[in-house]
Amino acid sequence: MAKAKTTKELITEPVFDNNPIALQILGICSALAVTTQLTTSVTMAIAVVIVTACSSAAVALIREYIPSSIRIICQMTIIASMVILVDQVLRAFFYDLSKELSVFVGLIITNCIVMGRAEGFAMKNNPIASFWDGLGNGLGYGLILIVVGFFRELFGSGNLFGINVLPLKADGGWYEPNGLMLLSPSAFFIIGIFIWVLRTFKPEQIEAN
Amino acid sequence: MPLENLKKFKDAPVNTAIIAGSLCLVCAFVVSLAASSLKSIQSSNIALDRKKNLLAVTKFPAEAMANRDSIVSNFEDNFDVKIIDMSTGEEAWEACRDALKSIGKTWETEKEVIDNYDQFTISKTKRSEVADRIEGDDPANIKYREKFSHVYILKNEDGSPKTYVFPVRGYGLWSMMRGYLAVKPDFQTVEGLVFYDQAETPGLGGEVKSQRFKDAWPGKKLYAESGDVQIRMIKNAPKDDHSIDALSGATITSNGVTNAMEYWMGPQGFKNYIDRQKGIAPESGDEEAKTSAAETQETGVRNG
Repeated sequence: MAKAKTTKELITEPVFDNNPIALQILGICSALAVTTQLTTSVTMAIAVVIVTACSSAAVALIREYIPSSIRIICQMTIIASMVILVDQVLRAFFYDLSKELSVFVGLIITNCIVMGRAEGFAMKNNPIASFWDGLGNGLGYGLILIVVGFFRELFGSGNLFGINVLPLKADGGWYEPNGLMLLSPSAFFIIGIFIWVLRTFKPEQIEAN
Repeated sequence: MPLENLKKFKDAPVNTAIIAGSLCLVCAFVVSLAASSLKSIQSSNIALDRKKNLLAVTKFPAEAMANRDSIVSNFEDNFDVKIIDMSTGEEAWEACRDALKSIGKTWETEKEVIDNYDQFTISKTKRSEVADRIEGDDPANIKYREKFSHVYILKNEDGSPKTYVFPVRGYGLWSMMRGYLAVKPDFQTVEGLVFYDQAETPGLGGEVKSQRFKDAWPGKKLYAESGDVQIRMIKNAPKDDHSIDALSGATITSNGVTNAMEYWMGPQGFKNYIDRQKGIAPESGDEEAKTSAAETQETGVRNG
């Protein structure tokens, strides 16, 4: 059996070495949808971090009791409950953001990253390690979301967190916003470039042909 | 040791059922606890969001909508809220209160009724005291229409009405789209349209919440000369006063918006109220209605 990973490894490894979006290409759907603004990206990132961390811990807590015939359903029940909790809290305290995120908070349930960590890690490890693993994977996902959101909002509308950074031509400045950045395909380009940069620095991530 | 046994024989059918059942119970408890404890905060958010949309549709500047206090004070200072009877177009908050009492809502004063009455929820109760089942043609796919509706009137400084805002709704592709239609006192020119609650496909039908959609409406005309609702969303819209370009990739959502306009501005909707405001009794003949409607528009005479 492989040596147990330290907490630090559990958290940092999924961020760069084994990033769920950049290496495993999971969870692309929501990464395209919510990243037109940095604020929604950050909210979504936090929501996913909380859900992956807490649901992994909860699954790990009862892993020895979960019958193998219904294990996926049990994991889904826990994940779905966590997502509803997060959604309810957002609606209560960040109503405008939750309207902006609309269905995508609910769709965290189907985010492969959460499921993947529950099935792949939490079923075999203790709750604390699973919590850190979920946290790390959530952060890995969140990092990409924030990077994509940063570039899309900056070049798409000249803003960061809704505050104008590049003065727009329409308001007498010099920057003409790039409409493509507001559309979903731009997220593909940015994720693609991100993966390219990452693999330039970490050639071991390149798949063998 | 029941727990030990549960662990040891976790794949036994009985234990599978126990685990599945208790997991569901725990999760259901947690979820419902959260939902019920956060409900009051959530509903106050929703009420505030509606007020904010009312300010937005009547072109208040962004500062007016900056925070909770400014939204509430701007709303209270500038809007008159009425409850009207949909079938006659008369103001009827007392009748509304009585009807609500018969379904168990005990609001007493006019303010209480106006603040708490939520016509969309009430129409969903399908109770005949407060909602009519729509027989026959139902273009907006509403099924039940409430008997009483809010009308929000934005006042000028001298107290005369500046804009009328009507709550409208219609079914799009996936969801009931709820919004506010703001109309100038000629009851012909649109001041704005917002949808504050919808779950259409993000990026396609969901564009009803985009600025581009909102910007397309001001200045458009509701009625044709015949008095029929003429405003519509249509592909390759001609450059006239009644047509708005449909949302691309969202034909059904666009049709839903058109149908909602047709229904709520028509005789089933706010037409009775509008006729009454213009000084035309709803029962009066068509010919008469048309001429005096035309006069009202030309001379700009208003009853308010």
